[in-house]
Amino acid sequence: MHRILVINPGSTSTKVACFEDEQEIWNETIAYDKSQVSGFGRAVEQNEMRRLDIEEVIRQKKLDLSSLSAVVGRGGPFKSLESGTYIVDDNLLQDIKLGNVQAEHISNIGALLADEFAKQAGVSAFFVDPVSVDEFEPMARVSGIPELERISLLHALNVRATAHKAAKEMGRSYSDLNLIVAHLGGGISICPIRKGRIIDVNNANEGGPFSPERAGGLPVSSLVKLCYSEKYTFDDMKKCIVGNGGLVAHLGTNDSRDVEKRIEQGDEKARLVYEAMAYQIAKEIGAMATVLKGQVDAILLTGGLAHSQMLVDWITDRISFIAPVRVYPGENEMMSMAMGVLRVLRGKEEIKKY
Amino acid sequence: MVKSYLILVINPGSTSTKVALFEDKRQLFMSSISHSEDELQQFSSISDQHEFRVQIIEDMLEKNNIDIRTVDCVVARGGLLHAIPSGTYEVNDKMLHDLRKAEWGEHASNLGGIIAHDIAQEVGVAAYIVDSVVVDEMEPIARLSGMPELERRSIFHALNQKAIARRAAEELEKKYDEVNLIVVHMGGGISVGVHEKGRVVDVNNAFDGDGPFAPERAGGVPAGQLVELCFSGKYTKKEIKKRLVGNAGMVAYLGTNDMRKTKELMEAGDQNAKLVYEAMAYQVAKEVGACATVLKGKIDGIVLSGGLTYDDDFVWLIKERLRWIGRIFISHGEKEMQALAYGALRVLRGKEKVKTYS
Repeated sequence: MHRILVINPGSTSTKVACFEDEQEIWNETIAYDKSQVSGFGRAVEQNEMRRLDIEEVIRQKKLDLSSLSAVVGRGGPFKSLESGTYIVDDNLLQDIKLGNVQAEHISNIGALLADEFAKQAGVSAFFVDPVSVDEFEPMARVSGIPELERISLLHALNVRATAHKAAKEMGRSYSDLNLIVAHLGGGISICPIRKGRIIDVNNANEGGPFSPERAGGLPVSSLVKLCYSEKYTFDDMKKCIVGNGGLVAHLGTNDSRDVEKRIEQGDEKARLVYEAMAYQIAKEIGAMATVLKGQVDAILLTGGLAHSQMLVDWITDRISFIAPVRVYPGENEMMSMAMGVLRVLRGKEEIKKY
Repeated sequence: MVKSYLILVINPGSTSTKVALFEDKRQLFMSSISHSEDELQQFSSISDQHEFRVQIIEDMLEKNNIDIRTVDCVVARGGLLHAIPSGTYEVNDKMLHDLRKAEWGEHASNLGGIIAHDIAQEVGVAAYIVDSVVVDEMEPIARLSGMPELERRSIFHALNQKAIARRAAEELEKKYDEVNLIVVHMGGGISVGVHEKGRVVDVNNAFDGDGPFAPERAGGVPAGQLVELCFSGKYTKKEIKKRLVGNAGMVAYLGTNDMRKTKELMEAGDQNAKLVYEAMAYQVAKEVGACATVLKGKIDGIVLSGGLTYDDDFVWLIKERLRWIGRIFISHGEKEMQALAYGALRVLRGKEKVKTYS
């Protein structure tokens, strides 16, 4: 039996959980007020505060650190990496401390926190499938403007965890399958996986379907016109693309349950917008099917929006001609991280080096 | 005996003007005149070029012993107007106003209606445009983007797309309004249209930066990064626009918009040229795959058309990604002149009602 401590720092919380193999023994959420986390500059400055609070949880749960097999922390927007489970090493720790990362984000300290508790326990610290997983084929990087290279950024943790789950259910090996995985959350990532490698993705911040909070791909000339209209600041525009785009911009909410309620009450606009989102998701899946030359073993719909039967039905209606559609609603980051570590502890996957 | 009609066809492009004469469906004459950059540079706007181009057309007709007074109508490629349904439109004052003022954007095809009007007035016949680039049959669901301010608009190579779709339907021995087709027009810009039973219900807007990149256009680019570029302070709006249409796509990477030159680079071992060439095919295929879901996979055919189809290797790269979707037709070159003549003829013969732009 492997006992694994899982640490997942988010913007206003730290989630901590303990797993024994696939079984979650306990989990705890340390919540923070915005005021508690707003005073810090860089994410690493929160390390101390977050660590002390995690120690307190460990004390309360009477977790004996020496009984652990491994500690896993959430991966951040590090440099581009292959997918997989990575051991936390000094190079990574240094990059995080020096800010040699693609973006400043609280998830960057997941590995720092994991490393500290792993050292106390005398075991290894890991991180699994960070958002900077990059297995693009060279041609996927080309856009129509040389300076604007297409960049691989995706919900890799849930995408890979879901793909592994499906492979197991299908009685196939993950590395033999061709899949299209659509992670449908506040942002949407749709990626073709060819024999285990994620060779393209829309990049939720830059393109693809619009989502509850993000604009996705936009008509480019009109976008430029808007940028130069002097009606919007840079920050306004960024907000329109990530945060206040998509459903929020059209309907004033990022909550799909609200939208569905409005549709049931006869709100035609809500229906059009919601169905248009499904339409765009389907189109992106169709696009990714050509990346796999039509050889698709299954299409997986996952993430919070996959709970919406209405949305899933609309999407499935448009894509079922491509391949069988399998639905895995929600996402469980803690479980996905634990599973990633279990794969390497059990020797099913090689440990990757940063 | 059925009266035959003599139709003068005018198709202004960004650096050339094509002129043809049809007797009914038979092409009697066709010529293309290129304009050098120097010649065009003296005009501050595209619509200012009309007198210059009319003169060139008239000289050319005279040289070829074509008496302009014998024509029954003049038909031209339509320009950027407000969204209109497919069909043949008589050039009227409202249309001329919008074209001259570039009310809906600047484009060489704006000259079509203006030139046709100039010549038709001289002769005393009607001037028409057919299936302008602003033909709009898009479904409401296709109009949304992730920003309410930025609606997706239907602007595409409608003339060529419609003509090619009609011919593919003929080949399938069905009526255009009975078939589902995906039509890919690949020229300096690339448009991929979803023809659902005679209506183009969705299409990437090659003019507004959407869909695959093309020899001269950027297509859809990463939106967040583009915003950063706009606000970087390094570029004027005009410079950025140039990066989207003109000095964009293949030109921006390789310095040429000519596929033959790109092939030469590839043959000389230029890996970057090979990558860009393959990436363009990759993006075209992705756009077609996206369109296939609009039709829920019920597709009678995919038609590849436009100048790029002369490149067999390029066509092959696209085909190998799309074979699984449905039957693929290749339609070489553009049939714009013919499509314009046929559009006028349908109206002259009373088979279709002429439409009014308002």
